[in-house]
Amino acid sequence: MTMDRRTVLGFGGAAVAGVALAPGMTLIAAPSPDKTEASGDQRWAMLIDVNKCETNCTACTKACRQENNVPLFGDANRDIHWIRKLEIRDKEHKRPSVSLPVLCNHCENPPCAHVCPTEATFIRKDGIVLVDKHRCIGCRYCILACPYKARSLVYKKTSFPEGGNPNVPIRAKGVVEKCNFCVHLVDEGKEPACVQACNGEEGNKAMVFGDLNDPKSEISTIIREVKTQTIRADLGLKPHVHYKGL
Amino acid sequence: MRSLQSHPVRFTLLLALVWASVLVLSHQVMASGSSGHAAEAHSHSDYTGGPPELEKAKGEACIRPTDWMRRNHMDFLKHRRGQTVREGLRIRSESLLKCSECHQSHEKFCDQCHNYVGVAPNCFECHIYPK
Amino acid sequence: MLSNFTAIEGRSFGYWRLVIFFGVLVLIGAGSFVAVEVHGHGITGMNNQIVWGVPHVFAISLLVMASGALNLGSMSTVFAVKQFKQFGRFSAFLAIALLIGGLAVLMLDLGRPDRLLLTMMHMNFRSMFTLNVFLYSGFIILCFLYLWSMFEYHQFTKVIGSAAFMWRVILTTGTGSIFGVLHAREVFHSAITAPTFVALSLSSGTAISILLLVTTFKQTKRDLEDKVVFGLRNALIFFILLVAYLLVVEKFTKYYSPAFYDVQGWILTGPYSSLYIFGVWGAAIIIPLAILFHPSKGNSVSGVMWASLFSIIGTFSIVAHLLLAGQAYPLNMFPGYEVSSAFMDGVTATYSPAAVEYMLGFGGIGIAGIIYLLGIKFFRMLPDKAVAPEGYELPWNP
Repeated sequence: MTMDRRTVLGFGGAAVAGVALAPGMTLIAAPSPDKTEASGDQRWAMLIDVNKCETNCTACTKACRQENNVPLFGDANRDIHWIRKLEIRDKEHKRPSVSLPVLCNHCENPPCAHVCPTEATFIRKDGIVLVDKHRCIGCRYCILACPYKARSLVYKKTSFPEGGNPNVPIRAKGVVEKCNFCVHLVDEGKEPACVQACNGEEGNKAMVFGDLNDPKSEISTIIREVKTQTIRADLGLKPHVHYKGL
Repeated sequence: MRSLQSHPVRFTLLLALVWASVLVLSHQVMASGSSGHAAEAHSHSDYTGGPPELEKAKGEACIRPTDWMRRNHMDFLKHRRGQTVREGLRIRSESLLKCSECHQSHEKFCDQCHNYVGVAPNCFECHIYPK
Repeated sequence: MLSNFTAIEGRSFGYWRLVIFFGVLVLIGAGSFVAVEVHGHGITGMNNQIVWGVPHVFAISLLVMASGALNLGSMSTVFAVKQFKQFGRFSAFLAIALLIGGLAVLMLDLGRPDRLLLTMMHMNFRSMFTLNVFLYSGFIILCFLYLWSMFEYHQFTKVIGSAAFMWRVILTTGTGSIFGVLHAREVFHSAITAPTFVALSLSSGTAISILLLVTTFKQTKRDLEDKVVFGLRNALIFFILLVAYLLVVEKFTKYYSPAFYDVQGWILTGPYSSLYIFGVWGAAIIIPLAILFHPSKGNSVSGVMWASLFSIIGTFSIVAHLLLAGQAYPLNMFPGYEVSSAFMDGVTATYSPAAVEYMLGFGGIGIAGIIYLLGIKFFRMLPDKAVAPEGYELPWNP
C-alpha cells in the first residue's frame, strides 16, 4: 500500500517539478526518461585521431577542467589532470614529434580496480571505470598500478571554482580520482566534455566517442575499417581509448 | 604484577581495553572538530534549546511521506548514492539535486537537525547544494 | 640447558628512560598523524608521482622485520636448532610487536584513515592489500597462539610453530607481491621481488633479534653466552648472502634483456644511484659481510652488533630504493619514445620527504618499542641465562 502511495507521490513530484521548472522545455526536446541505468549492452569507448590532433590545441583539457571542476593547486607535482596533452618523439629525433591527449583508458582489465582493496575503483556494466569516492580509503595503491598515469590523489582541500560546474561535486582531500568519461553526461545521452570540445569550434575534430557494442555507431565503423592502436597493448589491459595513426 | 604475568589472557584483555580507549578517544578528537562547527552554527541561529525549527519546504509534497523521510532519509540517500555511483541508476525526479527545489537552503533545513542531534554528514563538503 | 624464564624487573631508571623515549616517539607519531589528518597529505612531501613516501618505507621495513623476527622460534621449532629454543617466546613476541608498529604506520598514512573499516566491509580478493589484511591478522593470531603454546601447552608448539613458519613465508611473499605484481613499474615488476623480501626478512629479522637480545641481556645483567650470538652470526651471514644472491639474479636477468637497459642504467646513474650503491649494496650486503667475515671483528659480539645494525639500515635502504626509485622512474607509456607533458610524463619524479613523514615512521618504531618493553616486563619472555647446549661447537668461525 505504501509502495503505491510512494510511487504516486514520486510521479506527482516529478510532474510538479517538471512543470514548475521547465515549462515548455519538454515541448522542444524529447524528454529524457526519468529513470536510466547503466547496462552491459553498451561498451563506451573513445577513438582519437592523432593526425588531426594539433600540438598547441588544448580544447579537450580545458573543457575537462571546466566540466569536472578538476582542481589546480599551483604545484605541478600535485596538480590533477584527468586528460593531458602528451608530446612524443622517437629517441633518435629522426621523425617528427606527435601530440596526443592521454586520459584514463577505461581498460577491460583495469589494474587499478584489481589492486583496490575496497572495490572503490570498479568497472561499471557499460565499461566505464569509476572511483567511488565515498568508499576510497586513500591508500594510493591504484596510482602505483596504473600504467597510464591517469590517477591523482587530492592533496589539499578544494573549493568551488569561480564559474565552476555545480552539477559536479568538488573534492574531498585524501581520495584518489581520475577521468570518468564524464559519466554524468554519458548517462544523459551526451558525449564527454573533451569530445564535445574537440568537435566544437576550438577543436580539430580528432575525437569520437561511442558504443562499441553497437555495430552501427561511428566508432565501431571506424574501428572496423581503419587500423587503430591502444597504448601499451602488450600489458593485456584491453584499453578502450583507441588511437588512429599512432 | 605476578598475577598478570601468569595470565596472558588478562593482560591481553587489558591491552584490548587500552586499544579500545585509544580508539574512542581518537574518535572524540575527530568529532570535536565537527562539533565545533555545530556550536558555531548554534550561536548564529536563534537557538532556544527546544527542537530545531526547519525552513518550510516550497513544493507540495515530498517524494516520500514526511514521517517516513524523517526516519529514513539517511538510508534512502545512502542507498541511492550506492546505486547511482555503482549501477549508474539515475532517477531524475528523485536526485539529490532535486531536494533543493523544495528545501532551498541546506543550512536552514538539513543542518538544523543535524546540529541539534550532533551528527555531521559531510555530503556538502563536495556536492554543491544548488541555490 | 633450558633455564627458567623470568620477566625483567623493569624498575630501573634506565628501563623507564627507554619507556619514556619510545613513548615520546609514539606521541610524535600521533601528533604527525593528527596533523596530516587535519591538513591533508598536502603537508607531506608526497606528490602525484611519488605517492608512497617515507611512512611506507618505515611500515614495510617493520613488516618485513616482523616476519623475520620469528626466525629464532622457527629455527628451534621447525628446524630443531636446540640452542635457539630459549628465544622462542622472545621471537614470537617481537614479531607481534614489530608487526603492530608497521601496520599502525601503514594505516595512519591512508588518505582517509577514518574509512579504514571499509576494508572489512568491502573486500576485493584480487587486491594484494585485501589478502594482506588476512595475512597480517592471521600472523598475529598464529604468533599469539604460538606464544601461548610455548607458555602453557608445549604439546602444540610444534604444530603451531610450523604453521606460523609457513604463514610468515606466505606473509612476506604477500608484502613483496604488493610491488612485484605491478606490471607497469619496471623497477618493481619481477617474480623475484617477493622472494627477495622473504630473504630480506630472514636477514633483517635475525639482525634485529641479535641487537635486541644482546642489549636486553646486557642491560638486565643476564648471561648470554657468546657462542649463542655467534650461532646467530653464522645464520645472518647465510641470510645476507641469500639477499645478495637474489639481488644479483634479478640484475643479471634484467641486464640480459635490452628492454631493461634504460631502467637499469638509470638505477646506477640516476638520482637514486647513491641510495642504490651505498644503501642497497653497501649497508645491506658489503659492510655487514665484511665485518662478519673479519677474523677479529667477526669473532666479537660488538662486531656482530655493528653488522646487524648495518643490515637493518640496509633493509630500510632496500625498501626505500625499491619504493622511491620504483615510483620516481617515469612510466614507459610509449616504449622507444621520448615523452613530455604538463603532468611530469617522461620525467624522473622529485620527492623531498617532510618532517611529518619521518615522525609518523618513528611513531611506528615507538609503538613496537613500547610493546616490546612492556612485554618483557609483564611476561616471562626471556631466559635467566642463555647458554649453548653442552658440547656444542660452532661449525664455522671467521
